[in-house]
Amino acid sequence: MSNELRVDNLVTGYGKQEIVHDITVSAPPGQITCIFGPNGSGKSTVIKAIAGLLPAWSGRITLGGTEITGLPVHTMVSKGIVMMPQGGGVFPRFTVMENLRMGGYALNNKQLIEERIESLIADYPNLQRRRNTPAGSLSGGEQMMVAIARALVTDPAFVMLDEPSAGLSPALVHETMERVVGLKERGVGVIMVEQNIREALPVADSVYIFAGGKRKFAGTQEDIRDDNHLMSIYMGGT
Amino acid sequence: MDLFLQTLVNGILIGGILICLTIGFQLTFGVLHVIDFAVGGWTMLGGYTAYWLVTLAGIDPFISIFLVFALFLLIGRGLGPLIYHVRTSRYARPDLMALAFTFGIFLFMRGGALWLWSYNSRSVDSVLSGQFLSLGPVTIPLMRLSAFLLAMLFSLGLFILLYRSRFGMAVRALAQNHDHAGLMGVDVKRVSAWVYGIYTALTASAGVLIATIYSVNPSVGIRYTLFAFFVAVLAGLGSVGGVLVAGLALGLLEAYVATYIGARYSLLIVFGTLYLVLLVAPKGVLGRGI
Repeated sequence: MSNELRVDNLVTGYGKQEIVHDITVSAPPGQITCIFGPNGSGKSTVIKAIAGLLPAWSGRITLGGTEITGLPVHTMVSKGIVMMPQGGGVFPRFTVMENLRMGGYALNNKQLIEERIESLIADYPNLQRRRNTPAGSLSGGEQMMVAIARALVTDPAFVMLDEPSAGLSPALVHETMERVVGLKERGVGVIMVEQNIREALPVADSVYIFAGGKRKFAGTQEDIRDDNHLMSIYMGGT
Repeated sequence: MDLFLQTLVNGILIGGILICLTIGFQLTFGVLHVIDFAVGGWTMLGGYTAYWLVTLAGIDPFISIFLVFALFLLIGRGLGPLIYHVRTSRYARPDLMALAFTFGIFLFMRGGALWLWSYNSRSVDSVLSGQFLSLGPVTIPLMRLSAFLLAMLFSLGLFILLYRSRFGMAVRALAQNHDHAGLMGVDVKRVSAWVYGIYTALTASAGVLIATIYSVNPSVGIRYTLFAFFVAVLAGLGSVGGVLVAGLALGLLEAYVATYIGARYSLLIVFGTLYLVLLVAPKGVLGRGI
């Protein structure tokens, strides 16, 4: 596929410690790609490297065939890649509206930003009512909704989510997954890093499982036969 | 009663200048997380620049202050990436490294000024020197009034920039989280460097006003570094709004101490007050945040 987001033979880590050893992932446009794995498996590290938050030590990252390896973080939005860090990454002292405007920062077009925000916020009645509330005083679930809406202001090709379910109640995890499917319905490609396999697996089009910084499994959700099979992959089998 | 009113006016006028002196320092702390020890050094250099501009070129300090602002904006913008580099280094305790680094800059400025211009105090002349405005019992030196108004103009300008512009939104986002601002498309390095430039420009401009009202010599720096620390800590480190309250408070405190107790006690009482306030409100008068 021409417009896919690809990571080839990526090696990276924090400081001098190598976390990700030679990992390859490809995310097709308009589909949901999930990366699962236990703590320390390197799954978040991979999307941080794609976003430019961490340097790639070796390997290539490409979007639609164009190399984007090593580009600075702030240029990613205009390339069409938006990353949502763990917890959503909203600005606590900004109101909901200011957060959404910040989502359109890279557009540098006030009118376009306001139009996009108005059409997005219509889908979020809770946020509609709390436009002028500082995001820091919203609940974790509401902050996640702000973060998801904010990610869409620039109309990106890909949204990467780092453990969106972390710290949310089961009902909110479910709602968040529905919103993730909503992203796909808008034609946005999704890369989601998750620990909550039970909730995230059903929405995944393609599935990767990492352990110990290596790719242990790549396929579709149908390829995972049952819980025992999943467990054995997790524990380091194939 | 007349003396009381006169002191009130003096305190407010000086307080305005202290606001201008500290507001950029506070912004730098809020955004770059750097406590810039060189704040008094920038004040001193601003004063000397105004002195040379009026002595060599005959430009009145109330005009040259805009040149000083532009000059130090560029100097700070140039130095900004270096400060950012030190502050974000991967080595241990970059916060302390940045403090030591700016302390080094401060010593360099002080030593350089001593070497170039000797220890003598220089006064900066303005056409407004020696002119007064009488309002009933209160006499206001026109120079202090103009200095106050200019300081307020610069500080107001900063608020407008912060709260009404795209750049300001990026700065405020940066003050909350560098990574998250970067993910929104903010060029963190570039914006940080401009913030440092704005800080040095504001501080050097305050230095012009201070040198015009008092005088300037190579060792005034430490006094204004202490004042900036006082205002910043009283305001709550990183709180730009709190500077308005804390700057006025310091101006008034200093004026009343000088009038009723004696100018030589001012630093003692100023820092005694800071100590007591911090016992009661350790986060400063307005808490954190831009």
